[in-house]
Amino acid sequence: MGTATRQQEILEELRRQIHRMERRPARREGVLACGLPEVEARLPGGGFPRGCLSSLCGGPASGKTGVALSTLREAQAGGGLAAFVDGRGEFYPPAALALGVDLRRLLIVRPGTARGEVLPGLWAAEVLLGSGAFCAVAIDVPLRGVPAARAEPILRRLRAAAEKGGAAALLLSGPGDPAIPAAVRIDLDAVRLAEVHHVA
Amino acid sequence: MLHERAPPRALAVVLPDLPLQRVLRARPPAGALAVVWEGLVRHATAPALAAGVRPGDSLVQARAACADLEAVPLDAAADRAALRALAEALLALAPVVEVAPPDAVLLDAAGARLSGSDPAEAERVLAGRVLALCADMGFRGRIAVADGKGVAIALARHAGRERTRVPSGPGEGARALAPLPLAALDLPAEVAGWLSAVGVEDVGALAALPAETLAHRFGAAGAAAGRLARGVDPRPLVPFVSETFPRERWDLEGEVGVLESAEPVIFAAKRLADRVAARLVGRGLGASRLRLTLLLDPRGEERVDLPLSRPGADAAAWLAPLRERLAGLRLPAPVRALEFAVVEAAEVPAEQLAVGDRPEVARALDVALSRLAARLGERSLFAAEAADRHRPEAAYRETPFRHGGAGRGGGAGPQQPRSPPESPPEPQPERPTRLLDPPRPIVALGEGGRLTSLRIEGAVRAVLALSGPERLAGEWWNEPFDRDYYRVRLEGLGETWIYRDGRDGRLWLHGLFD
Repeated sequence: MGTATRQQEILEELRRQIHRMERRPARREGVLACGLPEVEARLPGGGFPRGCLSSLCGGPASGKTGVALSTLREAQAGGGLAAFVDGRGEFYPPAALALGVDLRRLLIVRPGTARGEVLPGLWAAEVLLGSGAFCAVAIDVPLRGVPAARAEPILRRLRAAAEKGGAAALLLSGPGDPAIPAAVRIDLDAVRLAEVHHVA
Repeated sequence: MLHERAPPRALAVVLPDLPLQRVLRARPPAGALAVVWEGLVRHATAPALAAGVRPGDSLVQARAACADLEAVPLDAAADRAALRALAEALLALAPVVEVAPPDAVLLDAAGARLSGSDPAEAERVLAGRVLALCADMGFRGRIAVADGKGVAIALARHAGRERTRVPSGPGEGARALAPLPLAALDLPAEVAGWLSAVGVEDVGALAALPAETLAHRFGAAGAAAGRLARGVDPRPLVPFVSETFPRERWDLEGEVGVLESAEPVIFAAKRLADRVAARLVGRGLGASRLRLTLLLDPRGEERVDLPLSRPGADAAAWLAPLRERLAGLRLPAPVRALEFAVVEAAEVPAEQLAVGDRPEVARALDVALSRLAARLGERSLFAAEAADRHRPEAAYRETPFRHGGAGRGGGAGPQQPRSPPESPPEPQPERPTRLLDPPRPIVALGEGGRLTSLRIEGAVRAVLALSGPERLAGEWWNEPFDRDYYRVRLEGLGETWIYRDGRDGRLWLHGLFD
């Protein structure tokens, strides 16, 4: 084997090593369980799909946040990181603790709610989802009243970020919110679980 | 009979022309430059020497020889700081390191050996690592390994080779030192002057003098000089202990005005980050917060703080978030210099400092946190921990998000199950997932003394179920409170957390079990 060929092989190997060092965390596949049998029974595959945007719909006290927190707990149980984007400033960590969430490994992002602005919260969610560092991200931003024309491109970017980073994106939404381009949508209300619509 | 203590096996690394090296390691390559002290040239760069400048020249003479000569005043304090910085980094290679001004650092070569290895081979490897680390830190060094630190320093300074190794054993040091000039021993001026006057010109001749001659004439200093000439130096190394966090600086002289993009700053910052990281590794520390200060021309500065998700000393991991921060920076003036400093650090196991098991996840996390902190403010990102307070709104506190385990499957890829806790966690009281701040006022509606519905923000909602109360009260010393909390299921709303204020009996909606 010639010296030039050997050098070429060494260069190729170095390139591969550099690529491995610089690469983004690899994508995940499959679903992320939420640990709630009555919810999992209604989800395709028994959990929220990784690398996808899922919508948890319901009224102010429908139980959607509890489902999201249970899912974050399961993500942590697998050794991963979880995040909660608290665009309303209402998230109460002691409830998460009571549900078994490891608060030290839960990043809370509270972008400020003074003007009811949704963009910072959605932008923060996009950054977290696209980073590949998180297994699951719950997103709670007030979307009601946001014109569909404005909301749609933002939500599509959110979905693209989830696909890129491989995290399970859990968007909490309420009645009257714009349509969410979600792979899975589950409707919850205060007293019972409603139908699950497998959109994609 | 008293036995002299065995001399320590010492590795001396000497930095020739340290004042010049120190200036050049913190700026772009220079042309004709001289370090000047009391009007005389002490050190000069190769272009200056080629132009005819000589150490010992007056500055006037030097400028006559080289009109473009840049004169930099000697800064002994900065030179000592540079030695300490190198000593910090060298702590990664030896258990004991001593700073030996004006230009040397000593390492305990015996302590750095691998057990069972051939001493000569181990010392050769150690010398190679020391020289490589010197280069990483921006220094060029010369090394000698010998019994006794004085012997090692003398050989490193004057043997004229990049590496010198003297085998261990009686008489070896004396043989190695014998051909060196007397100046190699750095003797007290009085002793050196007398020896010169009586015609002693090299170390071998000094070693041949009767021991009592010098002791009788110069006391302890004379006896020590004689011993050192005979290769006997039992002084132990004085351990170096650093008390400040690493800080490195880079001057962009001559490059001002070219910083329209972040790349030159990143390039300079990378160099500084490598040096800071090497110093952290030497001390077994990991940085959890860094600060890059951009010194602007002609005045002013811009600080970029970089909180890290976990303590570490992997300079490559710092660059991505740093690049992110710099990309969004709008500077009012060109940058003339950079300072890269550790603001917070913690002790970190050596294996974690080396690489980390999932560096790509840790880097991705740091980049994300850095972007969020830059736009939303650091206070917008936090973890929470339980606080021992009964008042619900004070039952947790915000803490910095520091995730040491991001490398253990923080993101994608194969997941490692978390090990089970040693003891089951304490049961936590059930709490609403949402806490309303401020609480919303409620009006109770009923029939025949029985609560049937509640009016909340104008809407009347029937009470479907009610449990409680849970009394929460206290803080009499500050803002006393006395509340009875009920969990109430309301029609069309769901599970709510409502309290009756014991002070006035009013009802408030405080949370939602969403």
